[in-house]
Amino acid sequence: MSEPILVAENLTKWFPVKRSVTQVMRRERTWVRAVDGVSFSVEKGEIFGLVGESGCGKTTTGKLIMKLLDITDGRLMLQGEDVTHITGAALAQHRRHVQMIFQDPYASMNPRFTVEDVLMEPLEIHNVGKDRAERDVWVREILDEVKLSPPEEFLARHPHMLSGGQRQRAATARTLMLNPSVIVADEPVSMIDLSTRAEILAMMKQLQREMGLTYIYITHDLSTARYFTDRLAVMYLGKIIEMGKAGTLIDMALHPYTKALIGAVCEPVSGRVNRIKDVPIKGEIPAATNIPAGCRFHPRCLYSVPECWEEEEPTLADVGDGHMVACRRYREIQALGDAARTSDASLGLRRTA
Amino acid sequence: MEKERVLEVQDLELHYFTRKGVVRAVDKLSFFLRKGETLGVVGESGCGKTTMGTALLNMPTPPGRIIGGKILLEGQDILMLSESELRRRVRWESIAMVFQGAMNCLTPVYTIEKQMRETLQQHRQMEKKDATDRMKNYLNLVGLSDDVLRRYPHELSGGMKQRVVIATALFLEPKVIICDEPTTALDVVVQAQIINLLKDLKEQVGVSFIFITHDLSIEAEVSDRILVMYAGRIAELGTNAQIYGPQGPAHPYTQRLLGATPRLHEEVEELAFIPGTPPDLVAPPEGCRFHPRCPVLLERCAHDDVPLREIEPDHMVACWRCFDE
Amino acid sequence: MKRDRMAQLRSFWKEFRQVRFGVVGLVLFVVFLIGVVFEGPLLTYRDTNTRWRDMLYWTNSPRYAMPVWVNWFTSKDYAKSAVIEPHNVVEQTDGLRSVTMDFPYEYQAGRPPSDVLVDLAITGQVALSITVERPDGRTLTYTKQTSSSGSQQLRISVDQNLRERVYQMVASAEDPAIASARNPKQINAVGALFGKAQHGIFSEPEVLNGTYKTTLQVTLVGATAKLDRAQVVIAGGVSGILGTDGNKRDLWSGLVAGTKWALIIGLLTSLISVAVGVVYGVTSGYFGGWVDSLMNRIYEIFVSIPLLPILIVLSAVFKPSIWIMIIMMCVFFWVGPVKTVRSIALQLKENAYIEAAHGLGATHRRILFKHMIPQLVPYAFASMALAVPGAITYEASISLIGLGDATVVTWGQILFDAFSSGAVLQGIWWWIVPPGLAIALMGMTFAFIGFAMDTILNPKLRTR
Repeated sequence: MSEPILVAENLTKWFPVKRSVTQVMRRERTWVRAVDGVSFSVEKGEIFGLVGESGCGKTTTGKLIMKLLDITDGRLMLQGEDVTHITGAALAQHRRHVQMIFQDPYASMNPRFTVEDVLMEPLEIHNVGKDRAERDVWVREILDEVKLSPPEEFLARHPHMLSGGQRQRAATARTLMLNPSVIVADEPVSMIDLSTRAEILAMMKQLQREMGLTYIYITHDLSTARYFTDRLAVMYLGKIIEMGKAGTLIDMALHPYTKALIGAVCEPVSGRVNRIKDVPIKGEIPAATNIPAGCRFHPRCLYSVPECWEEEEPTLADVGDGHMVACRRYREIQALGDAARTSDASLGLRRTA
Repeated sequence: MEKERVLEVQDLELHYFTRKGVVRAVDKLSFFLRKGETLGVVGESGCGKTTMGTALLNMPTPPGRIIGGKILLEGQDILMLSESELRRRVRWESIAMVFQGAMNCLTPVYTIEKQMRETLQQHRQMEKKDATDRMKNYLNLVGLSDDVLRRYPHELSGGMKQRVVIATALFLEPKVIICDEPTTALDVVVQAQIINLLKDLKEQVGVSFIFITHDLSIEAEVSDRILVMYAGRIAELGTNAQIYGPQGPAHPYTQRLLGATPRLHEEVEELAFIPGTPPDLVAPPEGCRFHPRCPVLLERCAHDDVPLREIEPDHMVACWRCFDE
Repeated sequence: MKRDRMAQLRSFWKEFRQVRFGVVGLVLFVVFLIGVVFEGPLLTYRDTNTRWRDMLYWTNSPRYAMPVWVNWFTSKDYAKSAVIEPHNVVEQTDGLRSVTMDFPYEYQAGRPPSDVLVDLAITGQVALSITVERPDGRTLTYTKQTSSSGSQQLRISVDQNLRERVYQMVASAEDPAIASARNPKQINAVGALFGKAQHGIFSEPEVLNGTYKTTLQVTLVGATAKLDRAQVVIAGGVSGILGTDGNKRDLWSGLVAGTKWALIIGLLTSLISVAVGVVYGVTSGYFGGWVDSLMNRIYEIFVSIPLLPILIVLSAVFKPSIWIMIIMMCVFFWVGPVKTVRSIALQLKENAYIEAAHGLGATHRRILFKHMIPQLVPYAFASMALAVPGAITYEASISLIGLGDATVVTWGQILFDAFSSGAVLQGIWWWIVPPGLAIALMGMTFAFIGFAMDTILNPKLRTR
């Protein structure tokens, strides 16, 4: 097993919330607990996925890794060095090593810039390359790499003159300019047409193999996550509740939330056609200001028992082969089997909406 | 037995008159919608599916203009109606639309009650109490409680707002509801809930749906028949079983689109994708419009315009390969 | 590299040509520039720049004369202004020295001029004999003796000095009853002088066209006496391209002389103050937090200081000068764009590409100057265009309270003179419309150029 390139230990980000006058007088403080103690490690050359619904803290986690936000608590290590509270030159170095691909490639590029300007920017910021000629060569090479060729055709274009797929290629090219070791990809394909999604992902995978990149893939889409990632972590309300190899996690999900997520996915398979689905989950995701006591999933869980909210929150426990789950009752739930699931499911969505 | 046709579209043509030239966004489209059926419309972005949706309300976005064809709503061509008749008798009354990102259509400063009442009052003279009862009925139908009426949009979650919009679309009891990507902005779990809701409504209310999306996997769940659009035309139109069944779709475009849709429970090494981009509709390619991206093209595909033909009952394809000639 | 720049410029021009109103703006700008460059030949009164406020310089012009082109639109022409130089000068040197000369005036107009003046400069003791012979043979005669050791200026006005004489000359033509009822001191002397000798000459004279010959005979008494200058000034009803104001000044010359100052005041003030304001607003919005609060307070102080009292104090300290005024206006004008720019910056900084730049390690300065300020260029242009007329009129209002730079002519000063002498109420439109229009056109020039630049510089607007 190789060295982990990135380690997050109990990573936490709380945002303060505006208080009312009475709250100020009572010295109450409320927080949005966006990321509430997340731990994971990513190995070099691995593709690690963070999945969850919107508001689960996956994007915030990505920004913490990027150091775009200050870390409230916990520790972040990159290549064995503590980068939790770095500033100045060390932060600038960090930003050479860790790059980010944003969800909306159009919004993440200055509309007044040409593709050339966009790709030159990282080089200019870090003063890489001895002159413009050398940088020019690099820009062309990278454009070839992301298959925006011939480069001449794209250099002078503005982002709005590119198709969705081409834009994301350009955005990917920008992250590669500084030869980073970790790339955080935040929903890189969710805005792209289905027909080209696979193409972008295939390109990203190829680049990863060729350049030995490490990806942190943030998404809400389990289907692409399964295809794209090596390992997956499922987040719920700022915490990882299940983690494991992508295939295992999806085919043998243990946590009731993961099961619900999987159950909700539509698939273009004839056997599933036009069947009313069971989504084994109740209610809606609570606000991150008011995280339920005990297991944070218990109010929506179909299997919750009093100990789930009376006792302390379960932590991630290894169940073998690196598969980890934070559920007190996962064995019992497994044992309940399909029969129980079907009957419970009738309680599910349709009446509890 | 053939069910009654609620909506029949014949040779519908809608062009955008832009500075770059005439964009043939909808090019001689013909199809029909049966009573109580859900027709799915799929295609890549820019294939004209949203444009087609607005055309069905005779509400093209400028610089678009409907330049030909008929839209028969129970035998009546709505393209012949005046703007005021359209507003009074067709829009919302007979055909309602749930737009992409519809939950953002709610005005943030009004309560749900006020917004719904406004829609109602524009169409029906009704006692205040009757109106309230009706609103409550429909909110309950979409799985919301009565107290939602008093709430403001920001107090509701995305899924709840989408339900409110669906209830508003329903409560004038239209015959057809056009849903344009109603679930794209929603999370998977909420998306599943909304899909289930639409399926329930179809059974309970007997309304027909046109469900526009780019995602073939959602169509698999909701639609009885699927219309695959490519470059402003129909590539394939078939029943759910014909498209998703074991023998698979007939048109190479549908095949590839389906191949590019990831499956959760299958381990695949490489996902398929469709190389190239959809054509520029100002100057679409000659012959079959898909031929520049087609992996199995014949010689004639490049120059012979391909017609839409029925290859088996209820299954129409526009591909030379599928015709026995 | 240089060729590259040239190619860039050429392609920029190619795109600029496509934007029609941009070209209009550019044409206007060129017109103003031509006005500045060819100021000398364009000025009908060459010393306008230096002697605008010197009343003596303008004495020979008519007061409130309309522009000459008004005659194109009326059936009864106004007489044009003219200065007639002496003809047939005969000097008699033996015995009593005397000089005789005549000034023929070819009168062809529908309405009489506003006045006829005999303008003389003499030294020593002289005796003057002036006659005006009308086309119908009637003559107006006037004599005057002067005695002075030094030199003096003499201006004899028909309207002011010769009413009774005119009365005597033409009274016989009118009904004796009507004529005697008239007070000779209150007649329209110029009208009567140029009127047909017939019934109604005092009430509604009918013009008599033809040659009016003024003959001047000067008798020089003593050896030192001499005639330095003699001319007859016809103060017409119309004068110059744009007429004259209440102080007899030629408005066209004033307008031409004011063009360069309008450009300087407008451009400098708006350029400096908008540049400062944009950078200030962006910085404030971008950093937020305490920086924003502090900058907001400073902004509020500047906004709440009344400009005029400060300027009064300052002009008491400094000598009023247009440059100091520009600096002072910049000091107070930069607040203009701040609030809007700040709110735009608040929006801009939420863009994903700002975050992306952060993620790439860009410094605050780079983000401000490469990512945010370029987005504000169109707004900056627009507010510059709007600040131009503001600056011009502000300069004018400062001039009004006597703090203007008396050494220059500005459009604002012309406009304010017009307002203060009630030109609006009197309907002296040619005093108000041209400077007002010029200020508006100057503002439009920059607005058009600004919008054109926006269409070109903002790639999103360029598509479709």
